[in-house]
Amino acid sequence: MYSEQVQSFLKKNRVEIGDEIKLIKNKNFYEGILMPRIELGDKNCLVLKLKNGYNIGIKFEKNVKIKKIKTVNKNVGKKEKEVKEVIFDKKLPVISIIGTGGTIASKIDYKTGGVYASFSAKDIVIKVPELKEMANIKVEQVMNIMSEDMTPEGWKEIARAVAKEINSGVRGVIVIHGTDTLHYTAAALSFMLKDLCCPVALVGSQRSSDRGSSDTVMNVTCAANFVVNSDVAEVCTVMHGSMEDNYCFAIRGTKVRKMHTSRRDAFRPMDELPIAKIHWKDKKIEILNENYNKRSEKKVKVNDKIEQKVALIKIYPGIDPNIIDFYIDKGYHGIVIEATGIGHTPTLGKFSLLPKIEKAVRSGIPVVITSQCLYGRTHPTIYRNTRELLSRGVIYAEDMLPETAYVKLSWVLGQTKEMGKIKEMMLTNYAGEITERIDPRAFLF
Amino acid sequence: MIDYKKIDLKCGLEIHRQLNTKHKLFCNCSTMMQEKEPIKIIMRKQNPTQSEIGEIDTTAQYEFLRNRNFYYQIFPSEDCLVECDEEPVHPLNQEALEIVLQIALMFNCTIPDEIQIMRKNVIDGSNTSAFQRTAVIGLDGYLEYKGKKIEITSISLEEDAASIVDEKNGNVTYRLNRLGIPLVEIGTGLLIGYSPEEIQEIAYFIGMICRSTGKVKRGIGTVRQDVNVSIKNGARVEIKGIQELGLLSKVIELEVQRQLSLPEVKEETRATNPDGTTRFIRPLPGSARMYVETDIPPILIEDKTIQKIKKNLPEPWTKKLVRFREKLKLSDDLSKQILASDYLDLFENIIKKFNVNPSIVANVFVSTLKDLKKREDVKIENLTDEIFEELFELLDKGKIVKESVPDVLLYKSKNVNTSLEDCIKKIGLETITEKELREIVKDVIKANRDKPSEKIIGIVMSKVRGRVKSEDVIKTVKEEF
Repeated sequence: MYSEQVQSFLKKNRVEIGDEIKLIKNKNFYEGILMPRIELGDKNCLVLKLKNGYNIGIKFEKNVKIKKIKTVNKNVGKKEKEVKEVIFDKKLPVISIIGTGGTIASKIDYKTGGVYASFSAKDIVIKVPELKEMANIKVEQVMNIMSEDMTPEGWKEIARAVAKEINSGVRGVIVIHGTDTLHYTAAALSFMLKDLCCPVALVGSQRSSDRGSSDTVMNVTCAANFVVNSDVAEVCTVMHGSMEDNYCFAIRGTKVRKMHTSRRDAFRPMDELPIAKIHWKDKKIEILNENYNKRSEKKVKVNDKIEQKVALIKIYPGIDPNIIDFYIDKGYHGIVIEATGIGHTPTLGKFSLLPKIEKAVRSGIPVVITSQCLYGRTHPTIYRNTRELLSRGVIYAEDMLPETAYVKLSWVLGQTKEMGKIKEMMLTNYAGEITERIDPRAFLF
Repeated sequence: MIDYKKIDLKCGLEIHRQLNTKHKLFCNCSTMMQEKEPIKIIMRKQNPTQSEIGEIDTTAQYEFLRNRNFYYQIFPSEDCLVECDEEPVHPLNQEALEIVLQIALMFNCTIPDEIQIMRKNVIDGSNTSAFQRTAVIGLDGYLEYKGKKIEITSISLEEDAASIVDEKNGNVTYRLNRLGIPLVEIGTGLLIGYSPEEIQEIAYFIGMICRSTGKVKRGIGTVRQDVNVSIKNGARVEIKGIQELGLLSKVIELEVQRQLSLPEVKEETRATNPDGTTRFIRPLPGSARMYVETDIPPILIEDKTIQKIKKNLPEPWTKKLVRFREKLKLSDDLSKQILASDYLDLFENIIKKFNVNPSIVANVFVSTLKDLKKREDVKIENLTDEIFEELFELLDKGKIVKESVPDVLLYKSKNVNTSLEDCIKKIGLETITEKELREIVKDVIKANRDKPSEKIIGIVMSKVRGRVKSEDVIKTVKEEF
C-alpha cells in the first residue's frame, strides 16, 4: 500500500494501479505501468514497471507530475474458474490431491509482477504434466494457510478430508502442505487415521513453484507414483532425497524431521531408513525398509480426538524450573520434555527440575521424556540422574522424536486422562513412532 | 563492398563486464574462479514457466522439449548453497552496487530513487534458479562519439551465469563458480547509420569507460558483448557472447552477409564461434520475462550517496590519454596501448610509487611481455602484480638496468619461488659500481692499446651487458681513453 499522501495524489490525477503512466520529476521522465506497492520498501516511492520489464521506484515529492497514458486491462492476473477434477484416461486410477496452503501451481502475472496461487486441477496438470500418464486427479482445497500457522484443529480437518477421499475409493491421496510443520501434520495423520488402507503422501516444496527450478514438480510426480504404484499403506512425506533432481524418499510420518531451513532434501528419516526411494525419471520404486503396513480393502476410520493443552519444553543449561509451574497453573494436561542427551534434566540445587516434575506428575500431568539429540533412544536406568527422574513417574519415550511425542501425547490425552492408560498408550507403537531395532545406517541418513 | 547505409544496418549493443569485487553479488563466495577440482557435481532438471500471456513461453517450451539434464560442478570457496539454489540470497553486495552507480553516472544516466531486483527467466540451465537476478541502476544516459550522442538506454547490475563446460546428448555440464559474479550490463539504443567498424569502436569506448573505474575484471571471459543485428526487410537477430572486442565488426559483417543470403530471416538468438561465424541456439525470447525478486526488499538510493559518488568519479579515459601523452611523455601509440592494456592499473600504480621512466614501464607491459610470450613461451600469468612492483623498485634503486628486464622476467617466470634479487644474482645481472666499471674499462684499454674508442666500448659492453647503463660505459671509456 502506498502512503496516504501518494494515494490521494493518484486519486487526484485519476490514476489507478495498473494504468500505463508517464511520471515527470526533475526534468526526467519515466514511462511504464504503475505497480502496487509491495509490503517492503518506501511507501512514498511510486513503483513503475518499465517497458523493458524492470521495476523502479520514484520517490514522490511535490514536483512529481503524473499523466495517464492509458488504462491497461485490469483483468490480468484474476483467477480463472477452478476445475476440480480431470479425467485423462478411464483405465488409469484416480488419486486425490488435497490442498492445505502453499501451492503446487502458482502463476506469475508478468504485467504486475505478482505471483498468485492456483489450486486448480488444470493448472496442476500444466505444472506437472507427468501426472497425466499416471492417474486421473481430483483436487480439494480444505484450507489455505502457511504451515507455521497450522494448528491441531487443522490436523483434524485434514484427517477427515483424507479419510473421505480414501473411502470414496481413490487409489491414494497426496496432501500439499507448507514445509515448516509438515512433520507435525504427518505425525498427527499417522495417529488419527486408523486402519489406513492406501498410501497418503505429504508433499511440500522448498523452492516456490513459480520458479523453473522448483522442487514441486519432482516431489509431486514422485508422490503420485508412490500413491498409485506402491503397496505402502502409511502416511509418509515424499520430498527430495538429495540436492539433486533424481529421487525422493518416502519417509514414515512419525520418523521424519525438517533438518535444514532451505535445502530441497531438508526432510530426513530419523533412526530408521526411508520406507522407499522413488526414482523420478524411470519411475522405479525401491523399498528400503520392509517394516510397513500393506494396502488392504479396509475402510479407514478417523480418530481425531485430541487434547490441545499439551506443552513441549526444551531443556538447556540454566532453564528456570518454574516453567513447569506455569503449565501446571495454566491447566495443561501433558508435558513433553526435550531432554539433553540420553534423557536428562538438571538435578542440582535451584536449577533442579526434579521437584517440579514430581509436582506435575502428582497433579496428574504426564511428563514424557524425549531427547534433543533427535537420533537414538532415551534410557531411564543407566545413570543415577535418569533413575531419579524415572522414580518421579516420568515416561521415557524410547526413541520417539520430540515433535512426534508431542503430537502423540496430545492424541493419547484425547483418548484418556488416566495416568496408567496414558503410559501404556505412549509406549504402544501405533504408527512406527518407536523404532524397535535401530538400523546402524540410519544415523545422518 | 556492402553499403551499410543502403541496407539500413541497425545494431544494438549489450555489453557485459564482470566487476572485480571481493564477493559475489548475493553471497560471500569468492569471485576469483581459481579452483580446478569440483568438490561435488549435482544433477538438476528445470521446468517450463509460463509467460505473461499465461501460455508457456516459446523459449521455455523449446528448452523443455529438449529435456536436458544439467550437471553443476561445485567448487570450494567459490560456491555455496546460494549458487546451488539451496539457500535464499543474501543482501545485495554494496561494493558492486557502488561500482555500477559510478559507471551509470559516468554515462550520464539518471538513477531511480528506488532499485528493485528482478528475476529474469532463463531456461538454458545456466542459472540453477532458472532465473537471473538483475536490477536497473541507470536510465537514459549517453556517451559522445564523433561529436554525436550515443544513447545508453539502461545500465543494470546482474549476476553472471554459470559457464558451460560440455554438452552431449542432452546432458549439459556447467561450472558453478562463475554464477553470481557481479556483472554490469550496458545497453545502447539503436545504432543507425554506423558501419560495423564504428560499432566496434563504440563498444571499445564503452569498455574504456568501465575500465576507468579500475573495478572491472580483466582478461579472458570477463567481457561479453551481445549485438542485435537487423537490416532492411529483415528480422532482429540477437548474437550472444562475443568475448573478443576485435571480433565484433567481423561478426556484424558476417551476420549481414548471412541475412542477405537468406530468402527470409527469422527472429532468433545465435551464439558466436571463435572465427566470428555464428550458430543458432534458440528462438528469440519474449521481452518481459521478469518479475520481482521478493527475497530482497527494494533498495533506496539516497541523494547523498549519489553526490558522494559524483564527487569521486574516476578520471575519464579521454583525459587520461591526454595526460599520458603530455605529462608522462608517452608516445601516442604507447599511450593508447597502455590504456587498453590489462596492466593499466598496475602501470599507474608503479609510476606513482617509483621514480622510473613511464615509457620504460609502459613498454615492459605492452611489448616486452608480448615478446616473451611469443619468443620464449613465458607464462605471463605467473608474473603477479607484486613481482612487477618489486622489479620496478629494483630499477628505481639502480639495482638492475632496464636492458636486463626481459632476462630477469624470463628467469623469474620459470623460478617463481626464487626472490627477484636472487634471480638477478643467479643470472649475473646485478649492477656493478662505478668503481668496478672503471676498473674493467682500464683493463680493456690496457689490453687493447691499438684499438679506437668505439672498439673499446664494444668490448666493455660485451663484458657488462645488462649490468650497467650503456651511457655510463660510453662516458667512462671516454674519460679513461
